[in-house]
Amino acid sequence: MTAPARTTSTATRRPRRSGVRSGEAASGWLFITPVIVLLGLFLVLPVVMAAWVSLSDWTGRGSPFSDDVSFVGGQNYSDLLFGGGLATQDFGTALRNNAWYVVLVVPIQTALSLFLAVMVNRKILRGSSFFRTAFYFPSVTSSVAITVLFLFLFSATGAVNKALSALSVNGPNWFADPRGVVHLGLGAVGVDQAPSALAGSGFLGISAWQWLAGPSVAMCVLILMAVFTTSGTFMLLFLAALQHISDEVDEAALMDGTSNWQRFRYVTLPMLRPTLFTVMTLGLIGTWQVFDQIYTGTQGGPAKTTVTPAYLSYTASFQSQQWGRGAAIAFILFAIIVVMTILQRQAIRGRGGDAT
Amino acid sequence: MTATPIHEPAAEPAPVDDDTSSSQPRRPQTWRSRLRGGRAGTSALVYAVLLVLAIMYIYPFLIQVATSFKTDPEAVSNPLALVPQVWSTAAYERLFLRSDFPIWFRNSVVVTLCVTAGRVFFCSLAGYALARLRFPGRGFVFAALVAVMAVPGVVLLIPRFLVVKQLGIYDTFAGMIIPLLADAAGVFIMKNYFESIPRSVEEAARIDGASTFRIYRSVVLPMARPALITLVILSFQGSWNELAHFIVSAESAELVTLTKGVAQLASGQLGQGSQFPLKLAAAVIMTIPVAVLFFVFQRRIMNSTAGAVKE
Amino acid sequence: MTRTNSSRRHRLAGPATIAAAVLALTACGGSGFDDPTPGATADPTTTEEPTSGEDPGLTGEISVLIGSSGDAETDAVSAAVAAWSEQTGVPAEVNVASDLNQQLSQGFAAGDPPDLFYVSTDNLAGWASNGSLLAYGDQLSNVDDFQPSLRENFTYDDQLFCAPKDFSTLALVINTDAWAGAGLGDDDVPTTWDELAAVAATLTTDGQVGLSFGPEYQRIGVFMAQAGGGLVSEDGTTAVADSAENVQALEFVQQLMSDGVVAYPSQIGAGWGGEAFGSGAAAMTIEGNWIIGALRNDFPDTSYQVVELPAGPAGQGTLQFTNCWGIAADSDSQDAARDLVEFLTSTEQQIEFATAFGVMPSVQSAADAFAEQFPEQAAFIASAQFAGGMPTAQGAVDVIADFNAQLEALASSSAQDILGSVQTNLQAALDAQG
Repeated sequence: MTAPARTTSTATRRPRRSGVRSGEAASGWLFITPVIVLLGLFLVLPVVMAAWVSLSDWTGRGSPFSDDVSFVGGQNYSDLLFGGGLATQDFGTALRNNAWYVVLVVPIQTALSLFLAVMVNRKILRGSSFFRTAFYFPSVTSSVAITVLFLFLFSATGAVNKALSALSVNGPNWFADPRGVVHLGLGAVGVDQAPSALAGSGFLGISAWQWLAGPSVAMCVLILMAVFTTSGTFMLLFLAALQHISDEVDEAALMDGTSNWQRFRYVTLPMLRPTLFTVMTLGLIGTWQVFDQIYTGTQGGPAKTTVTPAYLSYTASFQSQQWGRGAAIAFILFAIIVVMTILQRQAIRGRGGDAT
Repeated sequence: MTATPIHEPAAEPAPVDDDTSSSQPRRPQTWRSRLRGGRAGTSALVYAVLLVLAIMYIYPFLIQVATSFKTDPEAVSNPLALVPQVWSTAAYERLFLRSDFPIWFRNSVVVTLCVTAGRVFFCSLAGYALARLRFPGRGFVFAALVAVMAVPGVVLLIPRFLVVKQLGIYDTFAGMIIPLLADAAGVFIMKNYFESIPRSVEEAARIDGASTFRIYRSVVLPMARPALITLVILSFQGSWNELAHFIVSAESAELVTLTKGVAQLASGQLGQGSQFPLKLAAAVIMTIPVAVLFFVFQRRIMNSTAGAVKE
Repeated sequence: MTRTNSSRRHRLAGPATIAAAVLALTACGGSGFDDPTPGATADPTTTEEPTSGEDPGLTGEISVLIGSSGDAETDAVSAAVAAWSEQTGVPAEVNVASDLNQQLSQGFAAGDPPDLFYVSTDNLAGWASNGSLLAYGDQLSNVDDFQPSLRENFTYDDQLFCAPKDFSTLALVINTDAWAGAGLGDDDVPTTWDELAAVAATLTTDGQVGLSFGPEYQRIGVFMAQAGGGLVSEDGTTAVADSAENVQALEFVQQLMSDGVVAYPSQIGAGWGGEAFGSGAAAMTIEGNWIIGALRNDFPDTSYQVVELPAGPAGQGTLQFTNCWGIAADSDSQDAARDLVEFLTSTEQQIEFATAFGVMPSVQSAADAFAEQFPEQAAFIASAQFAGGMPTAQGAVDVIADFNAQLEALASSSAQDILGSVQTNLQAALDAQG
């Protein structure tokens, strides 16, 4: 990319070059300053302020840096993690809800978007752009609009229940049903109450039985919504990757006499590993931060089964006025996301195929 | 909130690849059709599956539009029907005449336009500086940008409220717009694209005696149109669909945006009861601008997947 | 050449962007549409106050934030405030909050709260203790007119922080058409738990459930009161949530739910008890005075009758709710706000509010007029005699929110376990406040 002309004319241009260079440095800093200021003010500074608030007893009035506000060390954090009271229980509930959400959404959306990409990648005449559009469209709409739509579709007398009743299935009152699906499944085989081993107080104030409750029926709707809105985006990522896989590789595999499935499993899939990694990382980061849908749709209900750490951080600060606790929850969430991302990176790298 | 990828900046933006088609001669069609097409039977099966899935993806939006034209009782009693028995524009009337919806729309438009224009301006400047200009501390800035992109948006919710309050721009348009102008991912999109532009053009301009800003403005920027359009699209989508920041940065009724207003509607603020046509009408109107943008720039949006994923 | 064309366009892009940004920023300021009419502040003759003839020349601007129960309340409050604004010449504006607590919290934290707002018994302790509220109660001219129990509710640290604006009790609201249709008469109005269960069963048909009420302590607590239980002891230092009486009450409700005669509004497609009742999904509901206005506005065709709640094993019991007018300590217009409060709590104005959206006046001077004018609300007034309030300890509201979350799953839970957890949490909150 470098033009050969530059090297040949170095000698004649040197005096002018230095003038240009210092002008360049000044321009460089000038150009980059707005972004630095913005990022510093609205990304770095907030994080620093929140860190201070999480270590202080600021009650919400006046500046957090005023003299009335004192340093309380890790008390907010210990209240959350070890206190055992309502704060810990709420945090444990939020973690449990979000963990089930992540565990279900990330694999499903990855698998579905890969499936869609593979399907659409075939050279079906004229249809593929229509299908790409159809699958990607939900991703451009606002989460608020989609939540409102799903609130209607999954209401007690909504479209989904109507469709289910056509199949003689009595759909539940989706958004008002707090029962965990794992509990429902266990109940179907006769395990109705917590076995005594699991009933005692467990981790973070929530009993093991509660941890295993699974996502509530309401949370399942949110899971469906997440898959609906993100599968299109990730489908495009996979499509781009699939199209970059050279045809020679496919042809070589075909000539070796492999079946479609074998070709997919042993040739295509390993070559998709970087994209898989990207999709899963983005999925993890996104699902641990789910907030908009909760704020719009369920506000944590029914029975606190859709409370997530992000939403809990918001309500603790803005509704209960526990600003220190809210900030502490946000930082713990930050730590969780970072750890999960690193773990995932190790897991992929461990299989010997890290392309980043 | 827009999630920013933390490992994708190295990937090149696809528009470059797609727009300039490969220089290799096309291979004969036979192998390719055997790879992709397959036999007619499986083709039909694949088509059927895709069609069913596509319907499942599109049908909800059709229901959404249809329900916004139904009456309240019919929305409850006949939710699946795509054609209302009685066409009723009561929901839209209530929305536009007896609620603050027009104010929400105006606010969303103002904020989105300002954020988009601002992001395009600042990110292209910074992207050019990182791509082409040598200045001390460039490497450090680059590393800092990567680090900053790793911070998840949710952590910033409360802290941004605190900063906006301290700066005295709480409950103003400035407080809603300025924090959203900070966009590290946009800088990377522009930087990657600028790096792919041949230097010879800039060198020629420099020989002619143009200043750096002149080169940037008159020579490089026009060539970066694909990336600029990408940035415009992403910024538009991101700010139009933003919710959390608008919740915390303003409180007065005159500054409510569409997302916040419709979210309030959904929790039943404009009246009691589940007035589905009203809420769905609001959701429809809210979706129209991004839908229009999407259909106009479809190809470009769907091609520029690398490095710019909206969550 | 295309390049010069596009470069010309881009040459304008920079300045245009800056111009746009500057324009947008100058559009900031938060004062959009409702520009309050500027008032004549220095002219004493324009300030006429029917109930408080003090303070000529009030200055400032008042913003009022309310959590409305519906259009009826919004319109009534807006009209009253506008009338005061005209009389005194002080501009005032009423806003309806979509989430009152969140908006107030945000306002306090930003140092920019509304001047006047609703404060419930839940929030008083928190906001009084962190200095967000102005303790102005004792400076009101009509301070002695307020009902003593209500004054109690809003006294913190021996100071009356705010003026109670009204109060309501919970009673049983019956759909008279469904009642007659099921062959029930005046004698069948339930006075005991067994009679309530029987009547609810009779009224339960295929399309209508006999009784519906919200899944929260603020409704189910009436049964706990009727069984002789409660949440906090008399002296307010001990939690008594896990008493046998409370368990009995919750198990009674569970029995009704498993018999299918009681359902939560969300289970029958309604947002709250009043909507379930008005739309005919439920034949009876347990609600407060505000249901009067809501029914009149949203369901005018439903004919109803209000009766006292039946007695439980320990006699009659119900819950009482009240809000007050809070003035922000950060407000610039405290004098004007105080004057507005006196206006809004005056005898005539309270009767107006009662007429508009059916709440009971908080001043004793209006009690008789109310009883006369609204005989259909006689049951609400009568219930005040055996009504108990909500716990006011700081942190209690979070415990009750958690209690409510568990009550949503009451049908499939153990009453003892729920109350046990409430006991633990509530005792912790009471201990924390010392």
